[in-house]
Amino acid sequence: MNKLENAVYEMNLLEEQAGGCGRLNSLPALFKVIITVWYILLTVSFHKYDIFGLLGMGIYPLVLFLIYEIPFRQCIKRIKIILPFLLLAGIANPLLDKNILGSLGNRQVSGGVVSMATLMLKGLFTVLAGYLLIVSTSIEKICGALRKFHMPSILVTMILLIYRYISLLLKETNRVMQAYALRAPGQKGVGFKAWGSLAGLLLLRSMDRAENVYESMCLRGFDGSRGNSFQYTAEQKAKPADYIWLLLWGTGLFSLRIVPLLTIVGSLLVKG
Amino acid sequence: MREKMSHIHITLSNVTFGYEKNQKILKDITLSFGENERVGIIGANGAGKSTLLKLLVGLYTDFEGSIRVEEIPVEKKMLSRIREKIGYVFQDSDSQLFMSTVYDDVAFAPRNYGFSEEEVERRVNEALEAVHISYLRDRHTYKLSGGEKKLASIATILSMTPDIILMDEPSVALDPKNRRNLIQILNGFGHLKIIASHDLDFIMDTCSRVILINHGRVIKDGPAGEILTDKELLESNGLELPLRFTGRESLFSS
Ligand SMILES: Nc1ncnc2c1ncn2[C@@H]1O[C@H](COP(=O)(O)OP(=O)(O)O)[C@@H](O)[C@H]1O
Ligand SMILES: [Mg+2]
Repeated sequence: MNKLENAVYEMNLLEEQAGGCGRLNSLPALFKVIITVWYILLTVSFHKYDIFGLLGMGIYPLVLFLIYEIPFRQCIKRIKIILPFLLLAGIANPLLDKNILGSLGNRQVSGGVVSMATLMLKGLFTVLAGYLLIVSTSIEKICGALRKFHMPSILVTMILLIYRYISLLLKETNRVMQAYALRAPGQKGVGFKAWGSLAGLLLLRSMDRAENVYESMCLRGFDGSRGNSFQYTAEQKAKPADYIWLLLWGTGLFSLRIVPLLTIVGSLLVKG
Repeated sequence: MREKMSHIHITLSNVTFGYEKNQKILKDITLSFGENERVGIIGANGAGKSTLLKLLVGLYTDFEGSIRVEEIPVEKKMLSRIREKIGYVFQDSDSQLFMSTVYDDVAFAPRNYGFSEEEVERRVNEALEAVHISYLRDRHTYKLSGGEKKLASIATILSMTPDIILMDEPSVALDPKNRRNLIQILNGFGHLKIIASHDLDFIMDTCSRVILINHGRVIKDGPAGEILTDKELLESNGLELPLRFTGRESLFSS
């Protein structure tokens, strides 16, 4: 498979997983969105030197990956493109902040190093939490949840359509590239002379396709301006257990934020 | 035969249309379609078949002349009411299937029309049943085969229980088995059907009335058996006899 086919395949696979019937999938999307946003807010709010407190927040993705049996390797494979950016985020901190905070063995640890590590961890946790949401919730359900938050319907519709447009564009690109490759054997990639016309063709074709999709939505009663009555997917009825899930994670995450769990456990171990 | 059409469902009078100014894709078209008719619109590539179908559902409303669907004029304000009555099946099924699962796709229209979720579910099940694909209900749309996609597209319009079904080139990209299956299903429907295609064998199997258009004009309107066997007429309009008649048209000339 070439890269494009792979991308299409991955998107389809992701969508299939999101629409699957795992236990995490069947939780109401609204609750998952709430907890994800809550988690990200709490995680980001840690002080830049509070690395031990922050580490405690790792419990959430860890537990979710474990109990809902979400393939971790696949996750790493998928988010690996973002990882370098996370590493870059705080890379200058050690140079800027040379305060000595303490020592690890016989080496001194500067504030810059610690804040770099916290920044990376915050990034990583945020990405993992987002991933867990996406892999277990279809785009229609996420959009439905966003509507419940009273996000303007036009914005939500845009999100949905952009998501659809990406896969449409990928597929169209793949077709064009295949047609090109078949007539340009032994050539790696696209010769730069053909770039302009190929890109133009692609734009026109994908716009055509997008227009057809839009027409077919309109023919079936879609009306962007009447937005508020637009429903993306079936309402999910929350079960009592779902409320418990929401409540437990809601309070659990908050306690993790204010109680330095790792520090306490650590000091108990040191004492014992 | 015409006298029996107590209900006229669609009328076009003197319809002229072009996508751009000064361009005329359809020229002065006057037609009417009655209840339960099975009409094939044939013509070479670019004749204006798809354009004609699109006008009927109001995808373009800046035409000259008038179009009425069940007495409702095709105008911007009326589109929602008209589209409740007409189902349009796109040539390219991928345009029609844009939600992730077959269920959500078939449910799209009834949800937009504000039906309760129980009613939506009932309609979806009925629509899928009508084209015999209940087993695809929870499938992902991208995984369907060409034939399954076509049937799913048809289900997406049946969920609104339309009186009229329009189809653009339904037989393209279907293998013989799926094609036979589709013919059978279509012939089981009691709706007014208008099928645009240059696949004359398919038209022969599904339609009783044929309208031949060329360069945006109606060339001939009559019984399928008559037009589809008229070699000279077809060939002078860029078409060929249905395969089954090639070489043995004498059988039908009487
Ligand atoms: N969206 C469009 N914009 C401009 N011209 C179009 C558009 N769609 C079709 N046409 C032109 O209209 C003519 C009739 O097209 P169409 O109705 O698709 O023919 P058919 O379906 O019979 O093959 C063609 O010449 C085509 O190039
Ligand atoms: Mg056409």
